[in-house]
Formats: sequence, C-alpha cells, structure tokens
Amino acid sequence: MKKLLLGIVALALAGGVVAQSAAGDPKVYKIGAILAMSGQASWYGTVMSQGIKQAVEEINAKGGVNAIPLEAVIDDHKSGNAQEGVSAMNRLLSIHGVKIVLTSFSAPTLAIAPLADQNQVLLLNGGGVSNNLVGASKYIFHNRSLAADLGRAAALHAQSMGAKRMAVLHWKNDAGDNIVRAVRPMWEKGGGSIVAVEAVPQGATNMDTQIAKVRSANPDIVALWMFAPEVGIAVKRLRELGMKQPLIGVEYTANDAKIAGEHGEGYLFINDYFQPSAEFPWSQQFAQGYERRYNAKPEFYAANYYEAVYVVAELLRRARAQGGDYLNGEALKKALYSNPKFDSVYGGQMVFQPNGVAFKRVGLFKVEGGQNKFQKYIEVR
Amino acid sequence: MDYILHVLVMVALFAILATSFNLLIGYSGLFALSHAAFFGIGAYATAIVALKLGLPFPIPLLMGLAVTAVAGVVVALPALRISGDYLVIVSLALQVIVIAVMLNWTGLTGGTDGIRGIPRIQILGASLDTAAKFLPLAVIVAALCYWGSWRVGASPFGRALKAMRENEAAAQAAGKNIVAMKLAVFAIAAALASVAGSLYAQYVTFISADSFTLELTIYVLAMVILGGTGNLAGSLVGAALLVVLPELLKFVDLPPDIADKLRQLFYGVLLIVMLRLRPQGLLPESASAHHYLAPAVRPRVDRPIAAAALEGRGLEKRFGGIVAVSKLDLALAPGRITGLIGPNGAGKTTAFNLLTGFIEPDAGEVAYRGRLLKGLKPHRIVRLGIARSFQDLKLFTRLTVLENVLVALPRQRGDHLAYVYFTPWAVASEERANLGRAMAILEFVGLQQRAAEPAADLSYAEEKLLAVARLLATDAEVLLFDEPLSGLAPNTLREMQPIFRRLADSGRTLAIIEHNLDVIRELCDTAVFLDEGRKLAQDTPERLMQDPVLAERYFK
Amino acid sequence: MDLVLQLLVNGLVNGSHYALLGLSFGLIFGTTRITHFAYGSLYALSAYACWWVTAKLGLPLVAGFAAGIAAGAAAGLLSYGLLYRPFERAGSPPLVILIASLGLFIVVENAIGIVFGTDTKVVPSPPASLFLVGPAAFTSVQLAQLGALVVIVLGLWLFLSQTRFGRAVRAQTDNPEMATIIGIDTVRLSALVFALGSAIAAVPACLILVKDGGTAYMGFLAVFMGFVAVVVGGIGSLRGAVAGGYALGLVESLGLWKIPSEWQSTIAFVVLFMVLLFRPQGLFAGRQ
Repeated sequence: MKKLLLGIVALALAGGVVAQSAAGDPKVYKIGAILAMSGQASWYGTVMSQGIKQAVEEINAKGGVNAIPLEAVIDDHKSGNAQEGVSAMNRLLSIHGVKIVLTSFSAPTLAIAPLADQNQVLLLNGGGVSNNLVGASKYIFHNRSLAADLGRAAALHAQSMGAKRMAVLHWKNDAGDNIVRAVRPMWEKGGGSIVAVEAVPQGATNMDTQIAKVRSANPDIVALWMFAPEVGIAVKRLRELGMKQPLIGVEYTANDAKIAGEHGEGYLFINDYFQPSAEFPWSQQFAQGYERRYNAKPEFYAANYYEAVYVVAELLRRARAQGGDYLNGEALKKALYSNPKFDSVYGGQMVFQPNGVAFKRVGLFKVEGGQNKFQKYIEVR
Repeated sequence: MDYILHVLVMVALFAILATSFNLLIGYSGLFALSHAAFFGIGAYATAIVALKLGLPFPIPLLMGLAVTAVAGVVVALPALRISGDYLVIVSLALQVIVIAVMLNWTGLTGGTDGIRGIPRIQILGASLDTAAKFLPLAVIVAALCYWGSWRVGASPFGRALKAMRENEAAAQAAGKNIVAMKLAVFAIAAALASVAGSLYAQYVTFISADSFTLELTIYVLAMVILGGTGNLAGSLVGAALLVVLPELLKFVDLPPDIADKLRQLFYGVLLIVMLRLRPQGLLPESASAHHYLAPAVRPRVDRPIAAAALEGRGLEKRFGGIVAVSKLDLALAPGRITGLIGPNGAGKTTAFNLLTGFIEPDAGEVAYRGRLLKGLKPHRIVRLGIARSFQDLKLFTRLTVLENVLVALPRQRGDHLAYVYFTPWAVASEERANLGRAMAILEFVGLQQRAAEPAADLSYAEEKLLAVARLLATDAEVLLFDEPLSGLAPNTLREMQPIFRRLADSGRTLAIIEHNLDVIRELCDTAVFLDEGRKLAQDTPERLMQDPVLAERYFK
Repeated sequence: MDLVLQLLVNGLVNGSHYALLGLSFGLIFGTTRITHFAYGSLYALSAYACWWVTAKLGLPLVAGFAAGIAAGAAAGLLSYGLLYRPFERAGSPPLVILIASLGLFIVVENAIGIVFGTDTKVVPSPPASLFLVGPAAFTSVQLAQLGALVVIVLGLWLFLSQTRFGRAVRAQTDNPEMATIIGIDTVRLSALVFALGSAIAAVPACLILVKDGGTAYMGFLAVFMGFVAVVVGGIGSLRGAVAGGYALGLVESLGLWKIPSEWQSTIAFVVLFMVLLFRPQGLFAGRQ
C-alpha cells in the first residue's frame, strides 16, 4: 500500500523530472524490454526475460559498461497487444527515461515504432521478424533472421529432397502469411506445386480439420510455417494421424519437443544456427550459465535477447567513446554502423545489414534421438 | 509527463466506449458483445480513408461513423427477433466475422500486417503527434460523446429504452415503437464506438485485428458493470478505474518473471472486491424524472370524450392444433363497460391480444372508427386510441411509479431523437407538462404518495393500481383491462371500482376480463361469455348468471 | 469424398468435446442461472491437477483423471460458496455476478501461470493407436473423447431421471421459485450442481491435456465454446447443450470442406447465427 502511494506521489512529482537530458553519464544504464509477460504467449516472455537478466547479471558482475551498471526494466504487452505495448513504451520513456528498448511481437513493435522515432529510442528485436518490421522505425534492429528467409531456406531444402507437392500449415498472422507469400513463387518456379495451404490461428490447439485437408491433398512434404508451441502440436497430430511424409519447418523449441515427444523424430527445421558447443565457447558458457540459473536448456529466443544486451553494451561503449550526448538512438545507431560486425552468442560474428537485420548463419536441423542434430548451413538469398 | 497524458488519452477513449456500451446493455438491455468490432470498424475505416484518400480530420472520423452506424443496424436486425442470451451469439457472430475480414481482406485492410503509418490528425496546421497534443482533442471528443449519450439517456427516449429493457410487450402496450428504438440505439452505440476507434487509429498510427477482439469487449463490459449499468457517469468512473488501476499496479515492485501475472491476479481480486462492496455497481441507476418538479396544473384525467365502438368480426385463431378463438364477434360499446367472462383458457386474453395487434388473427377483422386494424403493430394501435393492460401486469419494475406512467403518455416529442438533439427546449417544456399529466393520473388512482418509489417496492394492490394508471396514461379511448382486480381484498375492490365507472361515464369504451362475479355484476353493463374460444352468450350480468347452461359450465 | 468422411469424423469427435463443455457449463448455467465465466480457469485447473499427479508424482493416467475430477469438483464447490453465494445473498444482478466471475477467471488463470510456469504441460501417455474408418483416421484419445461423452450423457441422464437430487435439479432448472416453494434447498442444490458440473468439465480438460498439452490459458476457449453450445442448443436443455456442441463441432469441421481454413470460425458462427434466426429459442427450447 505504501509503495502504491509512493508510486502515485512519484508520478505526480515527476511531472517535471524527465530522463537525463544532461550529456553526462547516468548512474545506471536502463534497458527497457517489452515482452509477453502475461497472457497466452507468456512462455516467450519468460525465456526472453531470462536471457536478458542473465546478460545483465554477467555484465554487471564484470563491472558494468563504462564502469556503469546495467538495469533491465521489463514490461508487458500482454502477449502481443498493441495498446499495451504503447502504454509500456510510455511508461519506460516517462518513468524510467530509457533510450534503449528490447521489443518483441509484431503488433506492439509496430505500435511503438513512432514513439521510438520521436524520442530517438533504439529498438532491438530478437523474436520473429516479418517483413513489415524491417525499417518500421529509424532505430530498429533485428538479431534474428527474417521469417520469410527461414521459410525459403526450408523450401530450398525441400526442393533438394526432390519434393514436388508441398502442403502448408501456417500461423494466421503476419509472420505466417509472409512465409507463405515468400515461398510460393520460388517453389512454383522450381517446378513444384502447393497442394494445400491451411491457416491455424496463433494460440489454437485443435488443428485436426486443417490436418485433414492437408492429408487429403496428398503432399510429398508438409511445411510448418509456424512457431512455438503450435509447431509441437502440429508435428504430434500429423504423426498421430498417420502421416508419414517428411515434415519441415522453421522452429522447434524445447516446448515444442516436449509436446511432440517421440513423434518429433525425423522432423527437419531451419533455424538461426544456435547450437551450444565447445566449438563456440561463448555459446557453451551462456548455456551453462542459463541452465544453472533457470534449470532448463536455453532457447535460441533467450540467446537472442541475451545477445542483444551484449550488443547494447558494445554500442554504449562505442558511443561514449565518441563523446557528447551519446545516450540516444541516433548516436547508438551511428555507433552500430561504424562497425556492423558483432560477436554472436551463436558463435562467430553476425553482421547487421543496411536494412537493420543481422545476418546470421541459418542451419538445417533434424530431430534425432530426441536431440536437435545440426545437418548443414543453408544459404539464404 | 507524457505517460500520464497517454493514460488520460486511453481513459478518454475508453470513456467513449463505456458510455456507448452502457446505452446498449445498461439502458436498453440489449446484450450485444460486438462493441470491439464497432470500435475496430471505425478504426479501420478511418485508417483507410485517411491513408489512402488523404482526407483531413474530421472527414475520416465521420465516414467511419457512417460505416459503423450501418454495421450497428446490421447487428440490430436479428436483434429485433432475438433477445437476451441469444442476441449474444448473434453479436459474437458479427465480432468473429469482422475480425476474419480484417485478417483476410488483405487488399483493403492489410490483412495480418495491419495498417501502419496512419496519418496523424492535423488541426490548424499542428500535427497531434504526442499524447500532450492529442489529449485536448480526445477530451473534447469524449465530452461530446458523453453529452450525446447523456442526452439520449436522460430524455424520454432513454426512459423508453429502460422500459423496453424491463418488458418489451409492456413497452409496446405503452405505445413505444421498439423496433425503431432498437435500431436507433444500436446505430448510436456503434457510431460512438467508432468515434473512439477513429481517434485510436490516428493516435497510435498502427492498427491490426489483435486490438479489436472479444477481450476488449469484455474489458469494456467490466467498466460498465463496475460503474453501474443505467448510469452514464458510472461508466466514466468505471473506465477511469479500470484503465488507471493496472497502471498503478505497475508501481508495485515484484520479481519480474511473475510480476505481471501477479498484477493481473491482483487486478482480478480488486474487481471482485469492488463489486462485493457495491453489488449494484458503483453508481446507481438514477430516475429520469422527479415528482417535485411537476407543475401545479393537473389536467383532468376523466375529461369527457366521444369514443367509438371497437369491433371484432369473425375472429379466428389457432395455435398449432388448439383453437384459441373461433368465429368471435365482439362489439365493445362506448360509454359502457363490457365484461369478458368464462373459464380459464376460454380465449379471453387471446381476444384482447387480437384486438390490440399483439397477435394476428387467422381470419376475421378488427375495426375502429370504420378503419380496419389489419397488420398494425401494437404500438400503432395504441396511438390510434386502443390500449390494454396485462394479466401479469408487466410493470417496469426498476423504474419509479412516476416513470411507469410518464413513459406511457402519448405523442411525446422526446420519444424522437431528432427532437431530443435539435429542440431540447421543446422536449423539456413538454416533459414538464407531462409531469403534471402523470401526477394527475397518479392522483386519480390514488398513488401519488408513491411517485418516487421503484415499482418493484409496491404492494400487490398498489401494483394493480399502477397497471391501471399506466393504461390511463396512454390517453386511449378504448381501454381493455385484463383481470385488473384479481386477488384484491374487498375494501380495496370497493375503492377501485369507481375508477372504472368514472372512465366509462366520461365516454370511453371499456372492457374488463374478470373472474370475480360480484365485480362483473356491479361494474359491467353487458357481459360476454366465452368458452373454448367461442362466444356462447352476451347479456346483462344478471341474466347471464341465471342461465342454467352457463351456470353449469362456469358459475357453480 | 475421403476428405468429407475425415471431416465428419473430426466433427463428431470435436463435437463430443464441445458437447461435454456445453453439458457441464449448461448444467451450471441452466440450474443456477449464474454465468460462470470462471468455468474456463477451473477447467484449466483440473487439467493441471491431472498433470501434477501424472507427470510430477508419476502416478498412472487414471489417477490423474481422478485427481482432475476431484480438483474440479472441489474448485467448483469453493467458487460457489466463496464467490457466488455472497453475491446471490446481496441480490446482485446477473451482470455483476458475471464480472465477478471474470475476476475469478483472471485470478485463477494467472495463479496457475505463476505457480506452474508458462510452458506447455504434457503427460506421458500410452502410445496412441490409430483407428481407421475407411479413409478417415482418428486416434485413441479422440475415441476416448467420443466415449467420454456417451458415458457421461448416460450417467447424467440416469442421475437426473432416477435420483431425488436429479429430479430436484430438473425442477430448479425449470422454475427456481417453484423449487423453493416445494421445499427444495436451492442453495445446497446449486452447490451440488457446481461440483457436478465442474467435475464433468474436468473430463474434457484432462483429455485435451493428453491430446494437445495444457497451458494456463486453455480455459478461455473452453468456456466460450461451452457457452455457445448451450445457447445454440437452448438454455436449460441438456439435450440442447449436447446438440449445440455437435452442431458447433460439425459445422466447424464440415464447413471447411470447400472453404479455406482462415474462415473456420466465421463459417461456424454464420451457420449458428442462421440456426438462431430460424429458431430464436435455440435447437431445443429449455426454459423460456
């Protein structure tokens, strides 16, 4: 109760006090994050926020950035609601004076983009990327491949497998529709045909009708242009209902693996190539740290947001070195493009392209023995 | 600070949504869950017009308003046949269909991508691109919408809406065109919701179907219920509370991984607690009229008129295989009280229903003053001067005694929204005069002391008096009373009977259905004996009761 | 033709699921006249109880079902006693009780998320066998959904027609005032109905847990479908609830035969809306 009253008083008093406009260093670097912390998709918020927190802890343990500690301020867009995203952004801007926000989900990101532009706030997106998120703001960057690119990579591989008749199960939202639109022309140009396109609302668990139509179309291969947790359900039901065709998709998180169980065997999927291993020490160190903290293997979503914090740290370092008022989107963006190569927790480096999307190697995985086994890299054009 | 201003903008938008929704479910009892769809249609229409046609404010808003008002009427049409819980499904259907169209009609709505880059509102050269700049417009528009809703609610039209909510049949019997009322209130509620949507679209500059789902309707519903249905100020309070509360909860520090879920949980608890403390909602439904504002003038209730005879000729009605009424000839003479007697199920109430347009006869006709009443709706027949009461009273229980009578007064300008909005002074002065008429009627039946009481609080005898008063209020020439005195104690009967005599003596045509033979004998000039849908006899009560055949069937 | 048969089978199975939702929701709604929105989150709670017993404690699936049913019944009983009864006593209008129920829904849904986490819960299930009716395929879980409906309908019918409690339930559904007059303890009866309805709801909840996995938010769709099934079928009629559920399931499935799946919910609602246009009181008019 006291906290509440203090909060109200703070709100009232803070009318004049806005974020640091002074060119000096702040006492703490606040990094905002607007995630799905409640509602149907809150699993995403959980893993993303865990990645963020781990990065912040690690960096602060080493003394922070520019000897200044980081602080993550995590807010909620209630599983993708645009109005909530705007409210959250307003809160982050006014109350916490953040200049950097880690964002997720299409609708809230698009809704806060104008605010980011107006207030020169750097936006980093590590979740799904549909085409209309690219360049949505002057200051938006993505450290995740475009959904359409992932889809095309999967389709490329399907072509190489000799499949001609493709049936599609996809999320009825911009990400799913993007992939459908991107894949069709290249598939048909390669001599194939799309024999079924069935839409599944995000959050739906019952896809039997859609699967029935896929089945009756007699495909060579079934493509799953959808993300967690619907992928797991789709894989499970497709196999349970006796479909033996190869299945290929663009995602397979631990959540999906849990749902699909043994039916996941042989499932192929394209993903940003995240595979913690000794070959890439940072990835292993991240994975071990994550397991220690959260008792679960890290998802690549967590890795993306973990990595995003490190990118932010690097940007802060670079921008401060330039001097002047560096804590704003304009300066940070300049710092980013001064050298678009950044270390990636996936291993090696990622390169931010002029359109703001980080080029990461994309890999083909196969589920074997309950594990995601890397098969090869796929060139995405 | 922009954050607070942003919250206030959201309060303004939800205030518009909540007050308009209250008109629909609170005042009219039309439980339509399509409000988010109306909000969305307004948003999309505005976005498309502003973005693709580049038209300046307020044209996109007005066009969105027009489109959504049509959508409102579309939802209303099935509502004319369906009510209550079933209307919920119909409105849900619209909600689902609208979302599907938003998601799939990519050419028009951008499909799943939504529409971004919606132009901001420009006023006097300034672009309203921050919360600070947008808030004044939002507040002004919200105030206008509130005023628009309030004018509806506080007017005789609003009172008629509430009466319709309480009992549709009785509202019709009071001369209200409930079809027109439903269409009007749906159109208004939808239009107002679209205004909020229009502002929303040009404030956030990005819209997608996710923002207009059933969840939003439920959120607005909670605001209306919490604030108090039937009280528009309550909807403002409800909107403010439910927008601000979650924001305030953000200031409570909690471990981040469960913080937001915990806040939601607490929000749910608060909702329950608030309702528990004020189970009727925060603000009560207010009466639209007060007896102490009545002028001193009391027009005479039983002023002499020359009514005519109401005739039913050769009436036939079957329900399935059952003959309710057969070859019925009835002539109700002016200046007389005609009694309808007979065993239960004889067709007496059916006869009343046929005479007043509540049911259509299978054959035969009803005529008054040489005019056939074929195919006329009950409210039109009331306006022609023929009205009836109900055996089960059908009082407007949540309205006051005074309002029950007021709503039935004829020829009210205030029943028409055009007058309510454009000549409010004329409506106000007519309302004052009507207060005098209503009080005169209450005094005529002896209920004036209870004018401010809700009808639900009346004693049984008082309820019967109110039913009579409401019928009198219609100023009908032909008055059909369905068991007006049943179940009353002898002294109450003695007090009430003169009312009917006075009315008949003033030249009106009266008919009474009654089982109490003493009442029939004392009041009725002539009595009609019905059994199994047929008129067996018509004569003075004495002679009827001496007939041995009839006595066998009924009197013993 | 193959497709139609498959869609028909799917429709019957989903219809059974919706019928169970309609039956349990309708029993509560028709008898107590409370719009038990929180039904959705209690449904989820039952599934979580089943998961806890099966996946965490390692007991067999049958024990999980029993736990789910017990948890559902207890939760239903508690919700009536602690939430609805005080509002009833205060004479709250039905809409107020609806919003209070919404509050409870939010509370339970988020409590589940906080306590159990946000990942999808799955239970180790026996290998699903595939059955074929001609070209139409369905799994053992789906068969169980069909079977559960049959068993529960039978049981409920026996209960309502043969036992004293059952007859009292029918009386109260028909006419609550009369029920009080003839001496039925409507409060105790309502409590019983809440327990029974929630227990029945636990069965489809656990079956869905086995089939698709469970999340804290699985309840919204359940209460939504249950409500639609009841209204389309006719409020107060349990026969109607079952019919409404099947109507919903079949239309949702068969409606997509030639129409793209984007329009699944649209086609379902359009058809249901037509039904109500021609029969405004629902398929089987229960109480007026």
